[in-house]
Amino acid sequence: MSPDYGVFKTFAEANQWLAIWPELAYGTLALLLLMLEVLFPRYKNTLIPRVALTGQAILLVVLAATIRRVASPDAFGELLQFSVTGNIMRVFFAACGLAVCYIGGVYLKRERLPRVEFFHMVMVISAGMMLLVQSTHFIMLFVALETVTISLYLLVSYCRTSVASLEAGFKYLIQGGLSSAILLFGMVLIYGSAGNPLLPGTAGDPLAYSDIRVFFELNAHNYVAVIGALMVVSGVCFKIAAVPFHVWVGDIYQGAPTPVTAFLAVASKASGFIVLLGLVLGPFLPLAYIFKPLLAALAVITILFGNIAGVGQQNVKRIMGMSGIAHAGYLLIGVVAAFSVEMAVSAILFYLFVYMLASFGVFSVMAHVSREDDSIMLLEDYGDLLKDNPFLGSVLVVGLGSLAGIPPLAGFMGKLILFIAAFQAQLYVLLGVAIVGVVISISYYFGWIKAAVFRNPEVEPVHSTLYIPSRTMRVFMGVLTLLTISVGLYQGILSFVF
Amino acid sequence: MLDIIFYIFAALTILSAILVPVSRNPVNGAMFMIVSFVSTACLYVLLNAYFLAVLQILVYAGAIIVLFLFIIMLLNVEQVKTLRPSFFSQIAGLLALCILSLGVGSLFLSGSANPSPELAVSAGSGIARNFGYMLFTKYMLPFQVSGFMLLVSMIGVILLSKKINVEVPSRKEQGDA
Repeated sequence: MSPDYGVFKTFAEANQWLAIWPELAYGTLALLLLMLEVLFPRYKNTLIPRVALTGQAILLVVLAATIRRVASPDAFGELLQFSVTGNIMRVFFAACGLAVCYIGGVYLKRERLPRVEFFHMVMVISAGMMLLVQSTHFIMLFVALETVTISLYLLVSYCRTSVASLEAGFKYLIQGGLSSAILLFGMVLIYGSAGNPLLPGTAGDPLAYSDIRVFFELNAHNYVAVIGALMVVSGVCFKIAAVPFHVWVGDIYQGAPTPVTAFLAVASKASGFIVLLGLVLGPFLPLAYIFKPLLAALAVITILFGNIAGVGQQNVKRIMGMSGIAHAGYLLIGVVAAFSVEMAVSAILFYLFVYMLASFGVFSVMAHVSREDDSIMLLEDYGDLLKDNPFLGSVLVVGLGSLAGIPPLAGFMGKLILFIAAFQAQLYVLLGVAIVGVVISISYYFGWIKAAVFRNPEVEPVHSTLYIPSRTMRVFMGVLTLLTISVGLYQGILSFVF
Repeated sequence: MLDIIFYIFAALTILSAILVPVSRNPVNGAMFMIVSFVSTACLYVLLNAYFLAVLQILVYAGAIIVLFLFIIMLLNVEQVKTLRPSFFSQIAGLLALCILSLGVGSLFLSGSANPSPELAVSAGSGIARNFGYMLFTKYMLPFQVSGFMLLVSMIGVILLSKKINVEVPSRKEQGDA
């Protein structure tokens, strides 16, 4: 039998790989780092981290410059759908990856942990998240999600000399595995129902978003498929830490190395939200009758739980965790609003960017205020921070103020735009709950600010180590803070979101 | 005839699957898992999905169970002590079981379950060639991404388990045990 060369042509023409050049570039860079480490072990701590950071910075700039260039929609068949939103999220994850690598580089150097592998994993996660938010096919979604989650398990337990980190990694593994199983089971139920030839609107490919949507339009009350959709959304809700699925947050945020906590809090949550938006506004849109009230209820309990649980916390990482839950609640309001108001999607994107700026500001300060074990940092360890190191103190105050939504800062504008979208969607009850939540949240954010500005004279001074940030770190933190302030005054800086 | 074989293997699958968490000795549990996997493979054969059956035997009954057994032997797990769940969790479990069986029962009795007629066997669904064709055309990207997933897991395992460098300060070594 003569070889059939035509088959190679088919393979080559099946996909247009240039459409995912950012993801390919991230993957290549990640592999390059490992190769460099093997070939030049002498430069492990000098040159290679710089290659990683420079490469990511260049990619970030190029991505931001080409944000309006959208690849042809059928470049990957039904697997991926390219859009401006996808490009914006690419920029978002590129920025997150760069920030995490940068804070992580400083942190790991101090802890004397290997850095190259950390950079490698962060880059793989960034690429995975980029694919995740653009995928419109359950197989692509699941593979990208698992790549991200498995790398995150490893990053959480990265600081393996610390018991807390290992414990957090193990807990995340178990709970993440459970959530993946729920998600997968939901997909299987949908696959089984949508592929059933006896039902109207049988899908040709019961895993592709477009076909599933056609199926749901004709079978909006098919129990099995609806349960499947609910399970898929539950799996995604685990990612965004909405309340019945938030159990993992406290321990894992506390135990994970600080840069990884930042990554979990910002990038992982953002990817979850974009996936959720893609699902409820895409294949599950005919099920809006069930998802709209459901997500609204989730938003209410998430906001209330996150804020009330945050009030009593003393551990700073747990405070960030609870505040993260509360922010997920505000964003869920945006998702509910997105059913009827188009602007809500932009509001969510804007909020995510603002949240990223403020969170990385706070987390970079947390990486510099540390004790032997940074999982037990309490509020009192921040006593007199503003006096001891005015720079770190003011970065912290601005970041926390933005998270709390104090008017001149970016966080206020983010909340305002989100709430305007909710107002247009006539979600008055949700709006009321959100405002109550914001008021409660002031208590713990300002508790932290108070701890950083004053020192409780009754408490003995704690011997926490204050690491003085390097000059480039100062520039990095300064840029974050300046952006937080200036976006609050002039939102046009983030105009590419809208 | 085929029906009888199906019921035999289905019963075997479910029974051995139940015995996995029930058995006290973890090695016995792993063995029951093999039985469950093999009888699932037999079900695949009955469905004419030969390739899937072969994969099931190779990957699950072969590789994964060997991994399980290795870990059980490495950890040297003794006979597990009897752990009685508390009264509250027993009641909660019973309640959950009732609700679940009620839901599933009502789903099937009310006829809201999806219709499931006999399907025509699609030609060549069991041939490796078709899987390969899909894998290298339509699903090429997920295939490659899963390669990255495996690479990252490999790196992670090495990172988490290799000997700690001497330069790590001794105060941290307490967590190593």
